[in-house]
Amino acid sequence: MTESVPSTGIDPLSVRLHELAGHFAAPTAGRLTEEQRALSLAIARRLVADVAARIDPAMDTGDLWSAWLNAGIPGGVALAKACFARAEEHRWREQSAQRVAPPPILADGDEAPGESAATLSISATDRAQLALRIADRRRFDAAGHPALAVADVDHDLYRDLLRDIAAWRLDTIGGDPVRAAALGDRVRAATDDHKGESGMADAGAAYAKILGKDMPRAAAEAIARHDWPTLIALAAAAWGRAYADMALALLSAQTAALPSLLAPLRIDRAALAPLEASLAMLPARAVAADGAEVGGEPPSRDGQW
Amino acid sequence: MVIADRIIRGRIDRSGALVSADAPLARLQQRAGGGLGKPLALPQLARLVALAQRLHRDISRPLYAADDHSDIHAVVRIVPDADGASLEISDWRPRPVVPPQMPVLPEMPAHGWTWECDQQLRMVALRAATGAPPLPADWEGRSLSELFELQPDPDGRFPVLRALARQSRFDRQRVEAGEAGVRVAMLLSGDAMFDAIGNFTGFRGSATPADPGEAGDPAPEAVLVDPAFGSLPLSDPQFGRRIDGALRGPLSRIIATAETISGQFDGPIRADYARYAGDIAHAGRHLLGLVDDLADLQNIERPGFKAAADEIDLGDLARRAVGLLGMKAEEKGIRIDAPRTDDKAPATGEFRRVLQVLLNLLGNAIRYSPDNSQIWIRVDRDGDRAMVTVADQGQGIDADQQAVVFEKFERLGRTDSGGSGLGLYIARRLARAMDGDLTVDSAPGQGARFTMSLPARDVG
Repeated sequence: MTESVPSTGIDPLSVRLHELAGHFAAPTAGRLTEEQRALSLAIARRLVADVAARIDPAMDTGDLWSAWLNAGIPGGVALAKACFARAEEHRWREQSAQRVAPPPILADGDEAPGESAATLSISATDRAQLALRIADRRRFDAAGHPALAVADVDHDLYRDLLRDIAAWRLDTIGGDPVRAAALGDRVRAATDDHKGESGMADAGAAYAKILGKDMPRAAAEAIARHDWPTLIALAAAAWGRAYADMALALLSAQTAALPSLLAPLRIDRAALAPLEASLAMLPARAVAADGAEVGGEPPSRDGQW
Repeated sequence: MVIADRIIRGRIDRSGALVSADAPLARLQQRAGGGLGKPLALPQLARLVALAQRLHRDISRPLYAADDHSDIHAVVRIVPDADGASLEISDWRPRPVVPPQMPVLPEMPAHGWTWECDQQLRMVALRAATGAPPLPADWEGRSLSELFELQPDPDGRFPVLRALARQSRFDRQRVEAGEAGVRVAMLLSGDAMFDAIGNFTGFRGSATPADPGEAGDPAPEAVLVDPAFGSLPLSDPQFGRRIDGALRGPLSRIIATAETISGQFDGPIRADYARYAGDIAHAGRHLLGLVDDLADLQNIERPGFKAAADEIDLGDLARRAVGLLGMKAEEKGIRIDAPRTDDKAPATGEFRRVLQVLLNLLGNAIRYSPDNSQIWIRVDRDGDRAMVTVADQGQGIDADQQAVVFEKFERLGRTDSGGSGLGLYIARRLARAMDGDLTVDSAPGQGARFTMSLPARDVG
C-alpha cells in the first residue's frame, strides 16, 4: 500500500477530499482511467520540456518537472483540456491500428506495379495532404510517444506556459539581472515566433481549401481508412475551430450528434458507420451530456472554404 | 472475399424475421441455420436490432459473426422504423484481424534515427536519438531515395525497392545519409504500414550507423608489385580498388535513381519514359556486374594468385548452383537435369571459386538456351580428374568460335547486354589456378558442353 505524503504546497488530504466531493457531486459519471491519466500527464511533461527548450535549451527540464509535480502543474483547465484531447485522440488511433485490414498478398517482383503508381498524381491536393501528414507526425516525441506540437498549442496557453517556466527559471538563476533580462528577451521572442507557426489546424485548412467540392469524398475516405487526424483536421477547418477542440468534440460526441457535427463535410450518412462503430468501441470514452459543443455557423456549401 | 467497399443491405420485419437481404448477408443467415423469412439466426445482430427498436433511433456497432467457414467482422447500421428495421452493413471482412497489423513503433536505435515515409516514399517523420548523426536539413517531404543514397546489396538489388513492390518489411538496406561532407553509412530497415481498408500507407523504421565491415569499405591490403606488369594499372591492387570504389558509387546511384523513376515512386511519368528508366537500371546492373568481373580479373591476374584447396564434391556444388539459378531457368521454361543426390565427384578446389565457375556456366546455358529446352549437368571421374559438365540445347559454337570463346571480352559477336565477355575467361583462369581446366565441346545447332575438370580426391 502506498502512502501519500505531503509535498511542497500540496496537502494530500485536501486533494482526496476534493476528489471525493467531486465524486459525490456526480456519483454515476465515469472517472479518468489510469491510462487516460498517465497519457495526459506524459503529454503535459513533453510539452513543458519542448516549451522550456525554446527559451533555454540548457534548462534542466527534469528539475522543472519535479518541482511542478510537487507544487502543482500550472496551466489549469486549458492545459488539461489540450493534453486530454491529445491523449484521447491517441487512444482512439491506437485502437483503430489494432483493426487494420490484412495487407494484400502481392506477387514477388522487383518493381512497384506501374499502373497503380501511374494513377497517383503529384498535385496541390497531394502536397497539402502530405503537409497534413507531416504536421501530424510532429505530434510525437523522438521515441514515437504522443505529444503536443508547440505549433498546435493555443497561443494563450503557450504564452502562460512560457511565463510560468520563465518564473521557475528566474528562481533557479537567483537575482542575476543580466540573465533575467536575457530570459525575458527569449520569452518575448518565443511568444512572437509562435504566432507565425503552423500546425494541424493550418495544414487542415489548406487541405480543405484545395479539396473544395471534393471534400465529402476525402472525408468519407478518411473515415473508411480510419484516418482520424485527417477527418478531425477537415472538420476543424470546416467549422473554423482549433484542431484540439474539434478532436475533443468528436471524441466526446454522442452517436446521434455525429451527423450534425460533421454536417459541413457533407458526408453520406452511411459513410459515418465506421466512425460511429469505432467511437462506440473506445473504452472509457467520456461522452458529453449535451452533445458536442461546436459553435458558429458552418461555412457556405458552395465548396469554398 | 473482402467486401469492404460497399454496403450490404437487409430488412427485418416487425416480428424480427429477415425478409430481404443482399447475398452475403443471406448466405450468412443460411449458414447460421436461418433463411429468408425466418428470424435472424445471428444472435448479436438480433440483439442490436432489438436495441435499436427499443431506443427508436439509429445505431451503428461493430458486428462479429462466425460460422463454419469464417469469422465475419463488419460494421452494422440499424435504422428502426414502424415496420421493423433496415440493416446497412459495411466494412465486411471475412476473417479476424485481431493481432495488430500496424507495425509497432520502432525502438529508437542507439545513435540512430527513426523515420517514416508515405506510400510514395516521401519522408513524413525523422527523429534522431541522442548521439546520433545530425539530421539533414529540410528532410520533410523529400524522397527517401533522395535523403538516403541507396546502395545495392551484393546481388545488385535494393531491399527497400523490392519491399515497396511487395509492400512488405525490409531489412539491411545499405544507405549513405547526411549532409555533404559528413556522409554516414547506415543500415535502413522498415515495416510496411496499411490503413483500415488494407491500402499501403508507407514504411516506418529505423536507420542505424553501419559497422565499418558492413559499409563495403574493405581494409587496405599490402601493395603487391608485379615485376612483369610493374607500371600497368591493372597490376596495382590499390588502383583497382580505387577504380572499383569510384565506379560502384556512381553506378549504384544511377541504378537507384533509375529504379525510382522506373517505379514512378516520385510521381507519374509517361510509360515509355518509365521503360527507358528501367533500361537504364538494367544497364547499370550490367555495368556493376562488369565491375565485379574486373575486380575478379584483377585478383586472378595478380602474380602469386592461388586458390584454396578445399575438399569439395562437384555433385554437391552442381546441385547448389541449380538451386541458385533454378528460378531463372523456370522463367524460360527450361528444365535442368541436375546430378542426383547420390552422384558424387570428390575433388580438390576452392569451394567458392568452383561454385562461381558453375554459376557462370549454368547462367550462360540458361541465357543462350531456347525457351522450354533442357540443360543437363553431369559429374564424372576419369583417372585422377573429377569432372562436371554443363550441356545445353542452344545454337552451339563452331570450331573457330571455340578457339576464342575463352578470350577476354569475347562475346562471339553478341551485342546484347547479357554479359561482359569476361565470365568464361575468368572461369578458365580459376579452373587452371586450381590445377584443373575448362573446355568446350560443341557443334553448330547441337548445343554446347562445357566441362570443368579438377584434381580428383579419393575418399577412404
